[in-house]
Amino acid sequence: MPGKPRRSFPLVRRAGSILLWGAIAALGALGFATLALSRGESVNAAWLLIAAVCTYVVGYRFYSKFIAERVFALDDRRATPAERLSNGRDYVPTNKWVLYGHHFAAIAGPGPLVGPVLAAQFGFLPGTLWLVIGVVVGGAVQDLTILCCSLRRDGKSLGQMAKEEINATAGVTAMLAVLFIMIILLAVVALIVVNALKASPWGLFTIACTIPIAVLMGWWMRTWRPGKVGEASLAGAALLLLALLGGGYVAGHPALAAAFTHSGPALAAMIIGYGFVASVLPVWMLLTPRDYLSTFLKISTVLILAVAILLLLPPLKMPALTPFATRGEGPVLAGKLFPFAFITIACGAISGFHSLIASGTTPKMLAKERDARLIGYGGMLMESFVGVMAMIAACTLDPGVYFAMNTTPAALAQASHVLGTAGFVVTPDAMRQLAQAMGEQTLIARTGGAPSLAVGMAHIFAGVTSVLGGKTLTALWYHFAIMFEALFILTTIDAGTRVGRFMLQEILGHVWPRFGATSWYPSVIVASGAIVAGWGYFLYQGVVDPLGGINSLWPLFGIANQLLAAVALCVATTILIKMGKARFAWVTVTPLAWLVAVTMTAGWQLVFSPNATLGLLARAAAVDPADPSAAQRIFNYRLDVVVALLFMTVVVMLLAVSIREWWLVLSKRKPAVVHETPFVESAYAGN
Amino acid sequence: MQETEGRRPVGRSGGRLARLGRILRRIVGAPDYAAYLEHCHAAGHEPRLMEQEYVREFFEHKGKAPRCC
Repeated sequence: MPGKPRRSFPLVRRAGSILLWGAIAALGALGFATLALSRGESVNAAWLLIAAVCTYVVGYRFYSKFIAERVFALDDRRATPAERLSNGRDYVPTNKWVLYGHHFAAIAGPGPLVGPVLAAQFGFLPGTLWLVIGVVVGGAVQDLTILCCSLRRDGKSLGQMAKEEINATAGVTAMLAVLFIMIILLAVVALIVVNALKASPWGLFTIACTIPIAVLMGWWMRTWRPGKVGEASLAGAALLLLALLGGGYVAGHPALAAAFTHSGPALAAMIIGYGFVASVLPVWMLLTPRDYLSTFLKISTVLILAVAILLLLPPLKMPALTPFATRGEGPVLAGKLFPFAFITIACGAISGFHSLIASGTTPKMLAKERDARLIGYGGMLMESFVGVMAMIAACTLDPGVYFAMNTTPAALAQASHVLGTAGFVVTPDAMRQLAQAMGEQTLIARTGGAPSLAVGMAHIFAGVTSVLGGKTLTALWYHFAIMFEALFILTTIDAGTRVGRFMLQEILGHVWPRFGATSWYPSVIVASGAIVAGWGYFLYQGVVDPLGGINSLWPLFGIANQLLAAVALCVATTILIKMGKARFAWVTVTPLAWLVAVTMTAGWQLVFSPNATLGLLARAAAVDPADPSAAQRIFNYRLDVVVALLFMTVVVMLLAVSIREWWLVLSKRKPAVVHETPFVESAYAGN
Repeated sequence: MQETEGRRPVGRSGGRLARLGRILRRIVGAPDYAAYLEHCHAAGHEPRLMEQEYVREFFEHKGKAPRCC
């Protein structure tokens, strides 16, 4: 009402605010209490959602505000790189909600879906607590602080910031860390796809169809209708649905089903070949269209899953804690709850890989400095929520089914006594019926997390379609979920191989400048081949491992990802100290200390544990010499030892150079020089 | 009020659709030639790239960014 003065009651508003936030905090506490105090009785997924959402809301309202306003003093009067360096391509001032969607699409990958599913072997409680608390004090803090640091440095990358703010050694270490994590990441996600598509003609046919669909989309977007991504993606999505339906026909046709049924090693060879070709081909032909297709599918499926879970609110069948939390001999992943639950769930709680996005495209698109809070912190909260949904999907499965699916026959035999005592049993007949309902030949020993997540999602989706009066279409939902997971895993593989190729070309370009030319084909082929050989070897090793491969590769991936997070937090801490904000350094040092403790403990146990289900050296010693593949298996386990020790060494090295830098600056032996770009008044100030 | 979507002027209803399209394009990281033209106009210089060249450069640049795990 114009002209009417607005009356203000600051005390009433303050009391109302205290009451509101107190109520949200109390509701969250009630959610946690219900989850934590349940012993045997069925718990509804609603409590898990309530605990998570209340914690996110409180964390965002108070902690992210504190970091944005007190620690970094974000200021909308200061022009962002997007405003100062605007070029209409990568430096583009963008509405904060649009950028939120863009940032979320960039950070969300298979990690927050698969990690929680694997960690469900400890029960639903440990993984959920780590997802929810870890993100508020760790993962979202890392994303926000790195985004703020890069924002004030023209959108510089993590490696560049490490080099400028710490020293050249830290810069090289950061670059090597990215390369290592890339190799292990690609191997482990490729293994997930292999395990999901093994003996699955329906799944393999659908995924194989995505290659010609992507090529068609690429031609559409680049040559026929340049830049028409929406049109091409709609056509691609329609063809994808046809491929999904066609997969059902293929699976039911004896000759076609045989043509699309392959063993693990054969599928591994196909994926290795695909990764190489995708890296060598022009980017528009395969990589970009597949990326758009997977982004649309990812966002829509996550939204559908969230709505479906909210509609159904399914009960959790997995107990809060399983015997494997304390025994450390879990059939899915070896090792006790600490540190392995925190390694198993990396993305969703804290993911070092996000620091590459937060210091990549996102800082170049922020229109206002204070938008960083929503994008950096809020974006990571959403990823954690995706992880919580994956946990719910896995824990709605009967525990017997969950363990039968995620365990190899060898590991199942070892854990059979504990599984039987805990009541986690399932009959072969029940597994046969389940496989039939999902349109698969078998679901036993389908390790890697993707198939069990797909079964959980299929049950949830089918529950909704059943409620809405339609047919349940469980098999179709199962293969839709597999297609959804495999599609963006393959996008990670082709994009990762290509980025790894660029990094290798850049590194070797310092020695031989001709090799650094990213469009020189001999260099493209050699560098692509080297990167593919790197992750391909670990993939093959995982495929032929009698324990399933995930058992040793996933912890290595978790350690590598947390290592990168440690690099990011070291950089952020150094910048805070140099900014004269050492009193706030605990914001980044707390998650850093936790990560170092987790990474080093997990690395040590993975290498030196005398338990042959966990320790790599013990595993190598336990290999039967009469086994014809004994020499190869021993070599593989020892190679994993070298990789784990390398990761640990990198952590120690980086921590040492960072602590030295902090000490030099704090003791005034070295001037605190920050490399921020100077203040320029924003044209948006006051808008 | 009219906006320009590429080289094609669009009216009020088309403007809303075009705006939605631009939001979606930005979210999925798709090329936006109209934004490039607007940038050139605001910066006071002629566009350096034709639409097809812009799209090619955009895709090349996009292919150098990692996808998260």
